[in-house]
Amino acid sequence: MNSFRTRHGIPDLGVGVGFRPKHTHDVLDGGGSPHVSWYEVISENFMVAGGRPMDNLARLRERFTVVPHGVTMSIGAVEKLDTDYLARLKKLVRTLDPPYFTDHVCFCKASGLDLHDLLPMPYTKEAIEHLVPRIKRVQDTIEKPFALENVSSYLSYRSSEMPEHEFIAEIAERADCGILLDVNNVFVSAFNHGFDAERFIDGIPKDRVVQIHVAGHTDKGAYLLDTHSDHVRDEVWALYERAIRLTGPVATLIEWDDLIPTFNVLADEAARAKKHRDAALP
Amino acid sequence: MTTKNLGDLQAMFAEALASPKSIAREGEWPTRGEASFTGSARLSPIEQLDVYREQFWLRHVACLAEDFPTLQAFVGEARFEAIVAGYLAAHPPVHFMLRHLGSDLARFLEASNDESLVVDIARVEWAFVEAFDAADAPPLDARAVAEIPEDAWSTARIILHPSLQRLRLAHPTHTMRAQHREKVPVVRPEEAATRVVVYRRDFLLYAEEMEALPFDMLERLAGGQPLGEAGDALADATGRREEVESRIGEWFTRWSALGWITRVDVSV
Repeated sequence: MNSFRTRHGIPDLGVGVGFRPKHTHDVLDGGGSPHVSWYEVISENFMVAGGRPMDNLARLRERFTVVPHGVTMSIGAVEKLDTDYLARLKKLVRTLDPPYFTDHVCFCKASGLDLHDLLPMPYTKEAIEHLVPRIKRVQDTIEKPFALENVSSYLSYRSSEMPEHEFIAEIAERADCGILLDVNNVFVSAFNHGFDAERFIDGIPKDRVVQIHVAGHTDKGAYLLDTHSDHVRDEVWALYERAIRLTGPVATLIEWDDLIPTFNVLADEAARAKKHRDAALP
Repeated sequence: MTTKNLGDLQAMFAEALASPKSIAREGEWPTRGEASFTGSARLSPIEQLDVYREQFWLRHVACLAEDFPTLQAFVGEARFEAIVAGYLAAHPPVHFMLRHLGSDLARFLEASNDESLVVDIARVEWAFVEAFDAADAPPLDARAVAEIPEDAWSTARIILHPSLQRLRLAHPTHTMRAQHREKVPVVRPEEAATRVVVYRRDFLLYAEEMEALPFDMLERLAGGQPLGEAGDALADATGRREEVESRIGEWFTRWSALGWITRVDVSV
């Protein structure tokens, strides 16, 4: 069988960055940067009726490929999938016509509340049984390939029955979805839980990886926190090179969401990603 | 594990995250944490869960501070955090978009018998949030307006721009917001019945203070009353028929120029 990427015609978009309001002028009026070939947007920020956000999005889409990245779908929650959310996502995806859309392997809702965080799943067979039909339903509803990202985590469950990479691999295979491999999240979780980050990278089904995220994190002493607030650390670049060497050329994204720097600094980070990418790929 | 157990674990998160204070040494939480989480070389099981609890509060306080910066500056950070704690206890987040988090804050402050000035600050700031990303609407088509037969005006409905927010305040707190944005000292205003319209034009947000009479007219039109009926009702209610009739054209012209009126519906 052809790989997930081949079957769905998933392109290698090169290196992208998250589109943030602070950089509107640089990107939309200044033309962006030659080091940045595509943009990711947080889906929920564009599930609004109108105004400047939607105008900016339309202008961005005129010039670039834009991939929507969700943070509150809550695919792993025991609560029903939110049909309003899916309707809004479908509208956004139709507007952007991206090669795929993404979200996280996590839950955000519990007890009727939206907790607005990427809360980790226990790595159990039962959680897989819960996730797989929901992922299929989302993919069928939105009618675009769907890729799920591994999250950073700060706790591990006693009930987990397998390593995270096996959990993600099985979900992706059984739901037939893509994987957004966040190597910074792998690094953060590996430190927090004491597992081997390289083993994680090596264990992910490479043909399903449609995009790789890299980001900076914060050392809180007792744990690493995924803050997206700094430059990418050298150890994460090393993991990135390992990952893209295994996957082959796939889209790469620099995430920088807090203490957001000037666009030039972000573009320089994208240029750095390109260098690491070129160094890793034949 | 069954889905029920998965649900129990997820419900445990919701319960833990709701605590504004650390749960690491609180009651039965350490025991409950021990039963569900492994801990790490550096964190106990419940300390692991507490990381998420802390992030929940940082994120939600930051979100409300972003939407209510004048309120935060006016009451101070400590009181603002106390307000947020009370607010989230009474109105926990139930929408997948953080954008809606502050939708009930002014009502919460009012119900808490907070100072009316504080309530008014929150109302003004929330109006700006609503106006920011409300639906777009094309500007009024002057040619279409010119073609409306004279006898159709009395039953016409005036369609206002979706961003238009109408506020009846006990204090002119829109001036406090403007001062805060301009980074000048925020002056506590005197109590004064104030009517303000917050609106968006060309993606910029404005607040305009209005006289009582045109504001009341605008309220009636926004409520869907046809133009003639709204004018008559306003005239009857205020006893100022002559003024209403003489000024209605002026109001229409100004509101159209400001982009408040987007369409005149003569289909009824």
